[in-house]
Amino acid sequence: MPSNDPIIDFASAVAAELGADAITIGDEVLDRYGEHTLPGPDVRPGAVAYPDSTAAVQTLVRLANRFRVQLYPISNGQNIGLGTRSPVRPGQVVVDLGRRMNRILEVNEELGYCVLEPGVSFRAMHDELRRRESRLMISPTAGPSQGSILANALDKGGGSGAYADHFGMSCGMEVVLGNGDVIRTGDGSLAGDAHPNWHVSKYSFGPMLDGLFSQSNFGIVTRMGMWLMPRPPHIEPFFFTFPDDEDLAGIIDRIRPLKQTNFVPTLIRATNDLYLLSSAATHPEYAASGGARTLSDEGRAALRREYGLGAWTVSGALYGASREAVEPQLERVARHFLALGKGRRIPLDEAERIGPLHIAINSNTGVPTDSELKMLGWRPGGGAIWLSAGSPVVGEVVNGFQRKARRICEDHGLEYLLSNVCGARFARSVHAILYNREDAAETARADACYRALGELFASSGVFVGRAPTMYHGFHQAQRMPEFVRACSSIKAALDPNGVIAPGKYGIE
Amino acid sequence: MPKTIAIHRQDQVRAAADACVHFGFCTAVCPTYVLDGEELDSPRGRIALAREMLGSDAPPSETAVRHLDRCLSCLSCESTCAAGVSYRDIIDGARERIEQSRVRPLPQRMLRSAVARVLTSPALLRSGLAAARLLRGGALRLPGPLGAMAALSAAPALAALAPRPKAPPARRAAAVRRVALLDGCAQSVLGAEINAAAERLLARAGVAVEPVAGVRCCGALELHMGRRRSAVRHMEQTVSRWAAALEDGRIDAIVTTTSGCASVIKRYDALLSDRPGLAARIRRVVDAVRDITEIAQELALAPTGAAQGLAASYHDACSLKHGLKLAQAPRRAMAALGIDVREIGESHLCCGSAGTYNIFEPALAQRLGQRKAAHAAAGRPDVIAAGNMGCLVQISRFTPVPVAHTVQLLDWATGGPAPRGLENFQPRAAARADFPAQAAMPASTTADNGDLLW
Repeated sequence: MPSNDPIIDFASAVAAELGADAITIGDEVLDRYGEHTLPGPDVRPGAVAYPDSTAAVQTLVRLANRFRVQLYPISNGQNIGLGTRSPVRPGQVVVDLGRRMNRILEVNEELGYCVLEPGVSFRAMHDELRRRESRLMISPTAGPSQGSILANALDKGGGSGAYADHFGMSCGMEVVLGNGDVIRTGDGSLAGDAHPNWHVSKYSFGPMLDGLFSQSNFGIVTRMGMWLMPRPPHIEPFFFTFPDDEDLAGIIDRIRPLKQTNFVPTLIRATNDLYLLSSAATHPEYAASGGARTLSDEGRAALRREYGLGAWTVSGALYGASREAVEPQLERVARHFLALGKGRRIPLDEAERIGPLHIAINSNTGVPTDSELKMLGWRPGGGAIWLSAGSPVVGEVVNGFQRKARRICEDHGLEYLLSNVCGARFARSVHAILYNREDAAETARADACYRALGELFASSGVFVGRAPTMYHGFHQAQRMPEFVRACSSIKAALDPNGVIAPGKYGIE
Repeated sequence: MPKTIAIHRQDQVRAAADACVHFGFCTAVCPTYVLDGEELDSPRGRIALAREMLGSDAPPSETAVRHLDRCLSCLSCESTCAAGVSYRDIIDGARERIEQSRVRPLPQRMLRSAVARVLTSPALLRSGLAAARLLRGGALRLPGPLGAMAALSAAPALAALAPRPKAPPARRAAAVRRVALLDGCAQSVLGAEINAAAERLLARAGVAVEPVAGVRCCGALELHMGRRRSAVRHMEQTVSRWAAALEDGRIDAIVTTTSGCASVIKRYDALLSDRPGLAARIRRVVDAVRDITEIAQELALAPTGAAQGLAASYHDACSLKHGLKLAQAPRRAMAALGIDVREIGESHLCCGSAGTYNIFEPALAQRLGQRKAAHAAAGRPDVIAAGNMGCLVQISRFTPVPVAHTVQLLDWATGGPAPRGLENFQPRAAARADFPAQAAMPASTTADNGDLLW
């Protein structure tokens, strides 16, 4: 007999069609899935579903249309600082794809790609390549290692190494649309069962639809191809550190030619002191100020001295046949950076003794790591917000943002933690806003800080990349209305009843 | 009902639980959550149960006992936690409360007492093992812990780790150091060959093993079962004997081959913090404890070539990796002697041994053991190595690949006998180059298996 609650009816129908294990409405589960680290209340889902196949996802979408229930797909739910596992709105049914759809469907050694379900983590893929004694390597993030490769790419996440543009390295998807259709993108859209180009070509006949499913709510991606790079015989991580905040302009201008010429094949990061050191230390003055003030200059200097790092540390890696083969390139890179007239090179053996630099060593050599996330313990209370603004790789521009953003953080009594992840033309400036979520005043300051930073970048014509769920509407409102309407039109066409995560990325 | 844990310790456990801010990284690395996805079988769920239990005067609920019992205490969650939660304090405190409350049915309590008593008393364990072997056929069919103990008594590793009837003479260098070597209650009966190998290795490098009378049990097993009172008695006795030997210069270090013990001994200062009079002696002992692989790296050990190129899948015992944070020392010690150390998948997950876990939770332990053995055997290694006997016993039940303690391989590579199952190994010309592996430490940056392009 139907109840008056569509979620209950939906859950009963799911259990009847997919089995009791495929859905839960247990309080302890819903409470956990509603938790996040953002400066707002937890967002409790109405249920959590665990599909085990594309067909099961299709069933969930069909039933969601029938009962007018909203779904919220997640992969491994490791998006800490961006919403974790919680839906964008209370009552949405979390579709946890990672629990049972975590198979590596193919590893093509010859062409260098893999095909994955949403639950395959960086750690699992790394382990699988090692088990196969594969010649290929992954491009891990700086953490968490249990994060989903597929979801990271769809959310425009970045990694390390030469294949760090994860969405750029994805190719060919299978997607369940909100109207219940299952489509294959690219060459996979050919009728028939054999699609040798599906995961190797992006230039098939007709529109390239893959982009529609990155940072959107138009469908649920259930498998995807990812390109993998052959592991070079030798990978030489490099580090340089510079003493002053204002050195950033010169550093960025030195990075640009190294990336435009591809002299350095990996992304190059220019990371500030506290972003690095917070993974190894907790805020030394928090107790004294009750978190009301930012770390003093003296406290910051003391931490830098302790770890032998300056205001900015540059990291990247070179590839070659051997240590000896890359040595001339390394010397060239060193001359290039040290021509700034200040700073120093950190030799690899010294870097290996500096805990916070292990993150870059591991990730640039294809090894997943969790070390960077230790930064979340910088302040007590577990609050974390990531803000990823972009910027042209022009020293003056990036440094200008640095000055203003640093001031905004300090005005809100929060530390300025920034890592600039630099490509040839674009740098993603990853800000970590760490705060005590158990302190209402500090939480309010963190929220205000995020919004002020978001306004700063938008007013300068620069948009965020990834964004926390509770700010999706805030950012969508910063766009031109025509773009927002276009998104809504696509949504209406592919998901007419709005069953897939309405509100996600601000798309209704 | 009266509080049964000392107030200060209860506060400490509560504080540790309160430090959890629910990031949730721990769930993905918790073996029981990975198996079944049950929230209450995740660290966050267990912390919530422990917090509720310790905040109430009511007896622990059946639910709390069930899910806290299912925890392996592997501490994988603690390694991953970004908030620095001391999960070991929480789980030990919760278990102490459960034991003190006597909520378990009488037969369970009697069984747990018997197991604790037998495993920490070598004489009783020897008799128990003999009885289990006699009754093996029938005992294997018993349900629950009794059947599990019978199955463990048949594990291939027990034969592989048994003492050699005719021990080969150790080639001794002149002794320049004297150390104590922790026997380990269970290991001294079930895996005597491990410490025999350690003694040979140390003797070869001029380190003499000095017996220290009166050291019986470190207290680890009882602590993890919630039997804190008897655990502390053992700890105090151990501290007093070792401290005396250190103070009068009979030894300068305490070497362990049982990381499950060492990871608890390294916590003695916290565990015995309510014994301020003992603090100096405890600190002396804690500082002196070293894993055999840490010591081995400092010794002048020359490889004979016998184990050159041996493909060893290395399993990180949780007590080494998460408890002692020792991941590199064993790998470096083996690699330095020409052993080809291979990494295995899901190295962060427990094998299911976990002290008495595979006795009291045999079904979960079996699934974890099968999963671990499959990963460890996947690269077709010559041997599966680990630094803790319990892991070797557990893994050996699910794979035909020989198993050996790390110290057996170090001993063999420097002149000792081949571990059982490896007698026919033929040295290979060169070991495979190191392969990037660990997340906690920097990876190696060179491999020789690159593309021809280079």
